[in-house]
Amino acid sequence: MAGKFFFIDTTRCTACRGCQIACKQYKKHSVSKTKQYGTYQNPIDLDANTFRLVRFSEHPSKVNSMVWYFFSEACRHCLKPGCQKKVEQIKKDAIIINDFGAVLYTDKMQGLEKSSKAIKQACPWSIPNWSKKEKQMVKCNMCYDRVEAGLLPACAKACPTGAINFGDEAEMKKLANECLAAAKKKFGGKGEILDSEDVRVLYLIIDEQAKYRPVA
Amino acid sequence: MALTRREFLKWSGTAGAAAAALCLGFDLKPVKSYAAELKILKAKETTTICPYCGVGCGLIVHTKKSGKLLNAEGDPDHPINEGALCAKGAALYQMTVNKNRIKTPLYRAPESDEWEEIGWDEAFEKIAEKVKETRDATFTEKNAKGQVVNRTTGIAHVGSAALDNEECWVLQGIMRALGLVYIEHQARI
Amino acid sequence: MTNHWIDIRNSDCILIMGSNAAENHPISMKWVTKAMDKGATLINVDPRFTRTSSKADIYTALRSGTDIPFLGGMMNYILTNKKYHKEYAANYTNASFIVGSKFDFKDGLFSGFDPKKKKYDKSAWAFEKDANGVPKRDLTLKDPRCVFQLMKKHYSRYTPKTVSSITGTPEKDLKKVWETYAKTGAVDKTGTIMYAMGWTQHTVGVQNIRMMAMIQLMLGNMGRAGGGVNALRGESNVQGSTDHCLLFHILPGYMATPNTKLPKLANYLKRRAKSNDPLSANWWQYEPKYMVSFLKSMFGEAATVANDFGYDWMPKLDAGADYSWLTIFDEMYKGNLKGFFAWGQNPACSGANSNKTRKAMAKLDWMVNVNIFDNETASFWKGPGMNPDEIKTEVIFLPCATSVEKEGSITNSGRWSQWRYQGPKRLRGVKPDGEIMVELFEKIRELYKDGGTFPEPIQNMRWDFVKNGKFDAHAVAKLINGYFEKDATVKGKSFKKGTLVPSFAYLLTDGSTSSGNWLYCNSYTEKGNMAARRGKKDPTGMGLYPEWSWCWPVNRRIIYNRASVDLNGKPWSPDKNILEYKNGKWVGDVPDGGWPPMVNKEKTKRPFIMKPDGVASVFGPGRADGPFPEHYEPLECPVPKNLFSSQRMSPTAVVYGADTDAHATCDPRFPFVGTTYRVTEHWQTGILTRWQPWLLETQPQLFVEMSIELGKLRGINNGDMCKVSSARGEVEAVAIVTGRFKPFKVQGTTVHQIGLPWCFGWVHPEDGGDSANLLTPSTGDPNTRIPESKAFMVNVEKSGKRRA
Repeated sequence: MAGKFFFIDTTRCTACRGCQIACKQYKKHSVSKTKQYGTYQNPIDLDANTFRLVRFSEHPSKVNSMVWYFFSEACRHCLKPGCQKKVEQIKKDAIIINDFGAVLYTDKMQGLEKSSKAIKQACPWSIPNWSKKEKQMVKCNMCYDRVEAGLLPACAKACPTGAINFGDEAEMKKLANECLAAAKKKFGGKGEILDSEDVRVLYLIIDEQAKYRPVA
Repeated sequence: MALTRREFLKWSGTAGAAAAALCLGFDLKPVKSYAAELKILKAKETTTICPYCGVGCGLIVHTKKSGKLLNAEGDPDHPINEGALCAKGAALYQMTVNKNRIKTPLYRAPESDEWEEIGWDEAFEKIAEKVKETRDATFTEKNAKGQVVNRTTGIAHVGSAALDNEECWVLQGIMRALGLVYIEHQARI
Repeated sequence: MTNHWIDIRNSDCILIMGSNAAENHPISMKWVTKAMDKGATLINVDPRFTRTSSKADIYTALRSGTDIPFLGGMMNYILTNKKYHKEYAANYTNASFIVGSKFDFKDGLFSGFDPKKKKYDKSAWAFEKDANGVPKRDLTLKDPRCVFQLMKKHYSRYTPKTVSSITGTPEKDLKKVWETYAKTGAVDKTGTIMYAMGWTQHTVGVQNIRMMAMIQLMLGNMGRAGGGVNALRGESNVQGSTDHCLLFHILPGYMATPNTKLPKLANYLKRRAKSNDPLSANWWQYEPKYMVSFLKSMFGEAATVANDFGYDWMPKLDAGADYSWLTIFDEMYKGNLKGFFAWGQNPACSGANSNKTRKAMAKLDWMVNVNIFDNETASFWKGPGMNPDEIKTEVIFLPCATSVEKEGSITNSGRWSQWRYQGPKRLRGVKPDGEIMVELFEKIRELYKDGGTFPEPIQNMRWDFVKNGKFDAHAVAKLINGYFEKDATVKGKSFKKGTLVPSFAYLLTDGSTSSGNWLYCNSYTEKGNMAARRGKKDPTGMGLYPEWSWCWPVNRRIIYNRASVDLNGKPWSPDKNILEYKNGKWVGDVPDGGWPPMVNKEKTKRPFIMKPDGVASVFGPGRADGPFPEHYEPLECPVPKNLFSSQRMSPTAVVYGADTDAHATCDPRFPFVGTTYRVTEHWQTGILTRWQPWLLETQPQLFVEMSIELGKLRGINNGDMCKVSSARGEVEAVAIVTGRFKPFKVQGTTVHQIGLPWCFGWVHPEDGGDSANLLTPSTGDPNTRIPESKAFMVNVEKSGKRRA
């Protein structure tokens, strides 16, 4: 199967959180006890029950007084995953990349609790989390079972506005470039695709990355 | 009802790939260690419309042979949502499969501080008696001006915006046949 | 909606005002986004910067309760700068009608006002009529007494400066919005409005919507692709339950509930005004067919000519009296009600002034609540401030099935009736609502076998939709559509008894037909269950999908669509062709009547067929509070004066007088404007969604949003626990201190506004907070009595409590 990519156009996201819940629904995930922390974002970060999280960030703006950026975050399915590199040092073949590029944690990942922090730190976006229930690190698996059956990942299917797109590499890269051009036109020349050489999840943003998500 | 599996052809590059070979290029061991069967493939499919807002998005509901709900996700053939769902619609499954659901009629006696479980027959009998008693006691054939009104203002009814049309129609019929004029629902608030 | 969801994509300019579509109707944004991809402009006006605002090309704020000044100013801009669609306005609206000499407007009051009764004598607003009784017109729109000129005069007072001083919107923003939206007055352009409870929940709710409808008419946007007046309905079947009229004032299909002025069927059948205008279709003249067919559906064979088809069995209202929601709870609070059904609803949280509602319930003898989960209504007797030992109300809770555990149809905002199928087996122990009502009524009817008061309607209610002892959704759907009750010949076609009626054009007044709701006649015919259709053809290419489900009336996807064409039957915008008169017939959507275009003066009828004069009402002489919308401040407001007149609040607004109906305006105890709203993740009171862990995780607790400036003023930081109070109640909420709320400059002073969602309640979750409706006033619009939940006065202070 050809390599698969996500393209996420943050300018189209309305933060309906269909993706966040569709992920939970398909995977029948449990929940974490949350509180109202003074933001719409919840849970406050990705965790063992939440593989996809919509981040909410508001900033003053000259146009329309404010901007409210939404960023649907999950595993980037790196071409050369930092987590895989780290785990290989501990256990062979525990993390694999399947034929269309999904970075998958196999059950060989079980029992690596002591290394969980190190594995999380090996990810530039701190995506994977330790699951007490599964006794292993967990994260988005690109809904590989759906993709193998010709279905869209649950999140991409749920997205109403075309913010989350999923498909073959060439198609997604073409779409990303078209949307980038459109965004630049609409938002006064601003716009970039994040990490386009390294990951299978391409994000289009129109402002500094730090205005969308915590950047170390 | 049976649906075509057009959903499978919704994006390019994988048309007809339902039986695609799994994970070429890897040995079988790690494959087995993560591979899972796509559960929804063998389930019964029915269509429904989201019970929340008035947009009217379509969903496909997957039900196991046992009759248990397995999965609910957007209907890609539906022209309004084309498979998409918001947070509430995406969670539809959890309204039905939910341990918080109440599974039997409940009764709260006057001055009691707790619910007691009762059977359906008992519940219907109690309500029917109350309705008749109140209706008969408060029924007005003529108003103060002597005009025929044939109504009761002793009972009120609110609600229905979450019911099906057919239920709404029968419910308005029942309430009007009982002589109620205090009939209202969500459109008034 | 006059149009439908997909049609939003055809718009050139979308105004979202009085709604937060991205939050509450998220999938609508799919079609908004598609319109924007094609170059449409999205304007959003809201007191608070929302998820919708985040996607808007133009966003600006207004103080809650000032939509009429905002839009009245737009009308002034449109008329002064000649941005209106003149041919449309002259021919398809009553802008050209001459208003009688009794009409006047002075200092906030229209003529005909009776200050004692707080009511208008609407005859003072009547049109001048010719010898045939047809309203006089001036198609040049120049007569000083014509609607157009009176309207121009009325809104000339709504200058940018005055409007800005009332709404708190900067003048430059007002002008930007007005100019941008007014561009849709170009003949080939269309603009649409998406509104919801942000407009209805005011003492001027109806006039908010009329104001926008008038703008749409002057810009020529009604009946057209990408146009219309679109109410975004908040419940999956609030449209259907309104169509089937579980409401005190109307019977299924929007027919008036019988009242003491209509003692006999003969009075009822003659109640509709006749039109002497040969160009008016005056569709309501056919109401007698619909009413008699409705009675045949209610009482079946028991309904005969001899007994007026059972008309006497229908309960009657005292003419002019009110039996609406607020009155129900007022009467209940006074102890005048004994029994109460809350069926699939949670009034203890959803109605305004929840303290009054909850206390009222304690005065009932009995209550029945049908729901899926426990809720604040069913369990009111053990809620905050309640002492169960003193509450005598007997409560019976009946657990019902979910939407996927049963079969039937629901009608969306776009008037599409869509069939749903049963998927899983129902949970053991629960019953679908239909079964509950059938079994309950059978039990009641059994009791009446042994005698009782006025048993006839109970004994005679038609019951053949019950098959094998069970509620049968298909049988009810067929009865709603209607049958031929005997062999009959209509319009040259013969029908056998028992045949489903093909459409409401075939209904009869003599009892030969039944139809539970004439608007749905055509929904389940001999061709099958139309609501279950899944055809994807789109012959116009405009997204009408005429073979997907079914849409009332008679599958017409855009109402008043003959206004989308010019007098020759050609579309105003050729690139938005939903209907065109070609070779002697209409091609496209199902036309509003098949008459030829207006140019054929012998045979045509005007397009607004439900209106007595065949035109849309820019001037609305039927409303309780005036024929033109006028600004009045909310019952509770932050300013002592209305800048437009000495009538501070609506002179006809409904105010209740129980001790729980306290209100406070310009009161230092409650210095801030408050409003309520919803969140994507919860539905209405949260009755269904608070019990769902996935949704609760995303929105777990009540919050109150306020500006950074107000946070500073009150020493409140983001995440602090706060107490929000009004003259009627208080709630604890977590502060969201945000730049998305900004203070307003109103009449030279700074006005702060806060807002909070009403989706929480004390039953569950434990630390979730209670309903924001504890704060809202039970005062209502004089036309609808919908409460003013969107603009009231509050205080907010740090509670000192630690977050749960």
